[in-house]
Amino acid sequence: MSPTQESQDTRLSRRFVLTLTSLMGLMGASGIAALSNFLFFKPRVTYGEPSRFRVGPPESFPLGTRLPLGSQRVTLVRGEAGVAAISNTCTHLGCVVSTTEIGFDCPCHGSRYDADGTVLGGPAPRPLSWFKVSLAPNGEIEVDTSTPVPQGTYLAV
Amino acid sequence: MANQDAPGFADNLIHLPRNVWRSLFRNPLPSSDLGRSQTTFSNFFLHVHPVKTHANSLRPAYTFGLGVIAFSLFIILAATGGLLMFYYVPSVEQAHNRMLDLSGTVAFGVLLRNMHRWAAHGMVAIVFLHMCRVFFTGSYKRPREFNWVLGVVLLLITLFLSFTGYLLPWDQLAFWAITVGTSIAGYAPVVGEGMRFLLLGDRVVGQEALLRFYVLHVAVLPAVLLALVGVHFWRIRKDGGLSRPEGSDLPEAQKNFPPALEGKREGLAPAAKTQKTKTFGVMGLVRGPFNKVGNTPDNMVFSWPNLFVAELFCFALAVLVVLVAALLFNAPLEAPANPLHPPNPSKAPWYFLGLQEMVSYSAFWGGVGIPTLFVIGLLLVPYLDRSPKGVGVWFSRHRLLANSVFVLFLLVNLVLIIVGTFFRGPNWSLVVPW
Repeated sequence: MSPTQESQDTRLSRRFVLTLTSLMGLMGASGIAALSNFLFFKPRVTYGEPSRFRVGPPESFPLGTRLPLGSQRVTLVRGEAGVAAISNTCTHLGCVVSTTEIGFDCPCHGSRYDADGTVLGGPAPRPLSWFKVSLAPNGEIEVDTSTPVPQGTYLAV
Repeated sequence: MANQDAPGFADNLIHLPRNVWRSLFRNPLPSSDLGRSQTTFSNFFLHVHPVKTHANSLRPAYTFGLGVIAFSLFIILAATGGLLMFYYVPSVEQAHNRMLDLSGTVAFGVLLRNMHRWAAHGMVAIVFLHMCRVFFTGSYKRPREFNWVLGVVLLLITLFLSFTGYLLPWDQLAFWAITVGTSIAGYAPVVGEGMRFLLLGDRVVGQEALLRFYVLHVAVLPAVLLALVGVHFWRIRKDGGLSRPEGSDLPEAQKNFPPALEGKREGLAPAAKTQKTKTFGVMGLVRGPFNKVGNTPDNMVFSWPNLFVAELFCFALAVLVVLVAALLFNAPLEAPANPLHPPNPSKAPWYFLGLQEMVSYSAFWGGVGIPTLFVIGLLLVPYLDRSPKGVGVWFSRHRLLANSVFVLFLLVNLVLIIVGTFFRGPNWSLVVPW
């Protein structure tokens, strides 16, 4: 046997290596294409209501205030401990809750919450979210609906 | 004369209509079996069909034409939807006004919208009934397993198409049905919230969601659906036509063999057997029991005109029913979407109301767990039930267990949808509709 014929048995053939690397290249390209498509579809900015907004100086919210801010979907609460923002989006299926004397009611499927957003009844699985409240440099209260905080977190003012 | 053998220019002019017609349609209306074969074989729109169709596939009581009706509804939806696109703008400021314009300023605008709406509901229902037909006749069995899987995927795409279209009128019904529907998707573990954000392009239903749903509804999903429908049709032929009862391929003479000649049956048996094996034809290698060499008598009839008349009837019936429904009933249009005031109760589209009803008991299990298990179960049906018995017959005795389980699922779903549609009032509390 000639040396070339012998080497065919022990070494990978050129065709096999080329096929393998081409296949890996194609699969890699498909993977990158899928990933870049995913990144494309995941918006970096949203054009709806901004998640951070200022609502005014603390003085404009006297003790006992429960002010629903419609388009921002939060209720601004002023209690003994300070200011807080409670989500108005029902944790069940995303409807807007309305404020009642004892707390919040969801008109869609009948979830009921107390004044702190704790579930009193209905299908809601979780209490209403609380959002981060801070003082902006100009002294106004700033709400950040993209940052949830534990229930009962007040900003002392 | 210079051009004695070639036809003169005057002759060409005289025969222009005839020659154009003949270049358009290569075959005259067929009057012979050869012509019937050639017409089916050489026409682009007909060559999807086989030249010959099994008589059993044409029995109205076997298929009820459900597959063809579903596709007819898709054609109606594509036609009316394409027309509606000329007047629609996917913007939260304009969408609802454009809906009103359809009834005010666009000729036939209301009719087109009504047709589109009722055909869409009809397609969801018919595709579902089509699946029931295939199940109850055991038609998903070998070699048709994968076509069943394709069918389940097509059902899901149909639902998703209807769901994305639901948002476009941008009225209260649309806005809150999509809010509720996408919130159900948000309950999926790990990926739920991310999926919802990707679908809506925002944390709440708004302009981004409207645009995304619009593109999915008018471009992406119809293209995917059409491609998969093509494969679905192709597989019907490659799997040997529609399912039929065992033995229906045998010639009548062999089925009712006179007892006196029973002994001579052995002589005929090989002919029947060869039909079951692979055969090599002039078109190449063809799998399945349908392709025969020679002049064996069978239960096949020519597709022209038998199959085509049946399909035309189904299409005409679909158009008729949709048209009459569109003339009699207006598609509902509520007040413009108001993200601050959900209607009480807010309901998802009717085919998701079974889901919503379950969600009111357990958000995860009702909205995600049970539906996912249900779809996975549907996809696996042909791989779990491998018994070859009971194919091609409605409610076969051999399939009593499988059919009973399926009926149970249907009934549960139906009851949940009816409860969700009619028996749920404000705050999702039970009400009596009468």
